[in-house]
Amino acid sequence: MSAASLIGLTFLVIGESHMSLPNFLMEPLSDDLTKQGALVYSVGACGASAGDWLKKTPVSCGAWRTGNGEVVRKGRDASTTHIKELIAADKPDVVVIIIGDTMASYGKPFSQAWAWENVTNLTKEIASTKTKCVWVGPPWGDDGGRYGNKFGKTENRVQFMSNFLANNVSPCTYIDSLKFSKPKQWPTLDGQHFTLAGYQAWGSAITQSIVNIPDIKQVKK
Amino acid sequence: MKLNKIYAYVIAVTTSSVGCLTHAADINLYPTGPSQDSAFVRFINGTDTSLSVTAGGSKAKVVLDANQPASKYYPVNTKGSITGEFSDGKVSSPISLNVKPSEFATVVALANGSNLKQVIVKEQPDDFNALKSSLALYNLSSAGCTSAGLLVVDRSVSLFEKVQSGALQRRLINPVSLSVQLTCNTKPTGKVLDLGLLQAGQRYSIFAVPTADSPRIFFATDTIAR
Repeated sequence: MSAASLIGLTFLVIGESHMSLPNFLMEPLSDDLTKQGALVYSVGACGASAGDWLKKTPVSCGAWRTGNGEVVRKGRDASTTHIKELIAADKPDVVVIIIGDTMASYGKPFSQAWAWENVTNLTKEIASTKTKCVWVGPPWGDDGGRYGNKFGKTENRVQFMSNFLANNVSPCTYIDSLKFSKPKQWPTLDGQHFTLAGYQAWGSAITQSIVNIPDIKQVKK
Repeated sequence: MKLNKIYAYVIAVTTSSVGCLTHAADINLYPTGPSQDSAFVRFINGTDTSLSVTAGGSKAKVVLDANQPASKYYPVNTKGSITGEFSDGKVSSPISLNVKPSEFATVVALANGSNLKQVIVKEQPDDFNALKSSLALYNLSSAGCTSAGLLVVDRSVSLFEKVQSGALQRRLINPVSLSVQLTCNTKPTGKVLDLGLLQAGQRYSIFAVPTADSPRIFFATDTIAR
């Protein structure tokens, strides 16, 4: 990965709990993108699905960060912000979406109609602003160690969810996180949320994939 | 490694581990997906005259005519009946149906002499795909076309075959420009219908309905109301 491959580009990164809690993905991903020369606005909202970014939705925790600055965490007063408001405020060249686990219906039947409606509503809303978008799919989990697999994340379902997103996020570019590691390779705390080493590896792999998108340097508005 | 550095290392690892464990215990259990899937219902005017659809609860009204014979799909609650009424200003036809999670229900009003009748067709699609177009043929033409199909004009390609009366078939196709013609029992029937340029990710329906002469087809984009 050549240095400063993303210089001059502004990124808005939104996501679920992976982007919301201390020592999770927000820090390493925004650090890596910043090292590539991008201006990065990151916003996380615990448990938020795609549709939750089309209205202000209260969530149990969240965080935001500009570049490699201090992470500002939110507790019970956290909420999502409508994606169009975020795009209008931050004026990104690229929106990066880190959503998958919150929509995979782990431990129960997959809600396909709901997932399709939510995903397509968000991608259409972003497309209406003529902003390039990149959707990062869910990574593998593991058995969860001491805390067990709290979310019931299984390899079959995460593969199904990844395939579903790959087929449905266009015109966003899909990044398949399952290619970054083997199942159970990155240890988790609870079957889904990684230790810091896993998040660092995931953030680095996401950044590499973004840098490798063929037209990424041409998206400057 | 000097002893004080080893202690520092052990303390750092222990602190980090405790932090992680405490932190893991603090991670809330968020729902991954809803408690049950979404469900939708739409209304189609398969007659030759203008109809209105009035919702049972809100009394909201939608007019369906030759220019817009199909309503949008409305999200519905699956725990109760959906009620309403078709009306042409002279006669009415009460609507009542139940829809299950994941179902997309289509309620079609058809002429029945001077009265109205209804056909309800439900599907549970699993072909969602933003890179392709999804096209369905609904055969509602009753005895006039017991086995319907759809030909791509000028290409001698059959998109659908043997769609039984009261049923539908759906498939993914490439997003291209298409003109199609209905077939009844393999025989081309009625006028050619120009679908224009289909869009990737968009879902479409073609309805074959009876007329006084031979069945006709019309085309609708499957849009979800927001």
